[in-house]
Amino acid sequence: MTNTQTNRWLRPCTAVYLLLMALTLTTWAIGTAGLSGSNITLLVLAFALIKGWLVGDFFMGLRGVRGFWRWPVILWLAIPGGLIAYAFTGG
Amino acid sequence: MQAQAVPWQGRYPPGDLAIWIFILAELGAFAAFFGAYAITRMNHVALFNEYQQTLNSTAALFNTFALLTSSYFVVRAVAAIREDDGLSCKRWIWAAIAMGGVFLLIKGFEYAHHIEAGVRLSSNTFYMFYLSLTFFHFMHVIMGMVILAAVAFKAGRGGYSAAEHTGVETGASYWHMVDLVWLILFPLVYVMR
Repeated sequence: MTNTQTNRWLRPCTAVYLLLMALTLTTWAIGTAGLSGSNITLLVLAFALIKGWLVGDFFMGLRGVRGFWRWPVILWLAIPGGLIAYAFTGG
Repeated sequence: MQAQAVPWQGRYPPGDLAIWIFILAELGAFAAFFGAYAITRMNHVALFNEYQQTLNSTAALFNTFALLTSSYFVVRAVAAIREDDGLSCKRWIWAAIAMGGVFLLIKGFEYAHHIEAGVRLSSNTFYMFYLSLTFFHFMHVIMGMVILAAVAFKAGRGGYSAAEHTGVETGASYWHMVDLVWLILFPLVYVMR
């Protein structure tokens, strides 16, 4: 299989999609296992924020945008993400 | 393939700028909702943890899979029209809409189960947040499906091309926003404790 064929089979968006699915499954497994505590909470939140960043950059196409419009989605993830981390780890 | 090799570049995001202003307003509303949930939970940790156990996290997992798959199909639709393949674009969008339908179906079963169990907005603070937050998102899924259907019909009539496909990108951006919100909502409401 040549590199071209490999790239055709696994497009960047497909790789991102598979990563998103894997992170989702991991998040669900953590919840189902009943794991809790600040570190687990922060790990689950980090997975969610990474997934949001992947969707923003690779699915919404913000990766190549320059200037103002590069930042709203990243800030939308960071600000509520910080607030949620603060609230769930005991303030 | 060129659409994949050369990502979107420019000062503005893909699609009509008006939809992005709308998307920012929607994201702001959901951010306020998420913040309110997190802050309120600080004073009701035991209650939130107790009633979170009554939710079906497996249903939420499959709903997340449905929305992610739907978003992926929309990405493929945009890539197809950038290659001037209107037929593939239309098919990918209908596939995305079908996955949105799967989401509504699973969520509908969840709501039916809760209603049967006597759960109401007034039952307690957790259910108030759970029902209002997820239903607000549910309505956005429906609206996204309507937008995508309009795009799919136009694509089916040959209304888009590699040179002009702003409508496809506009619909896609809105749909990804719906997915993005769920990616935070799922762990926040169903998993984190």
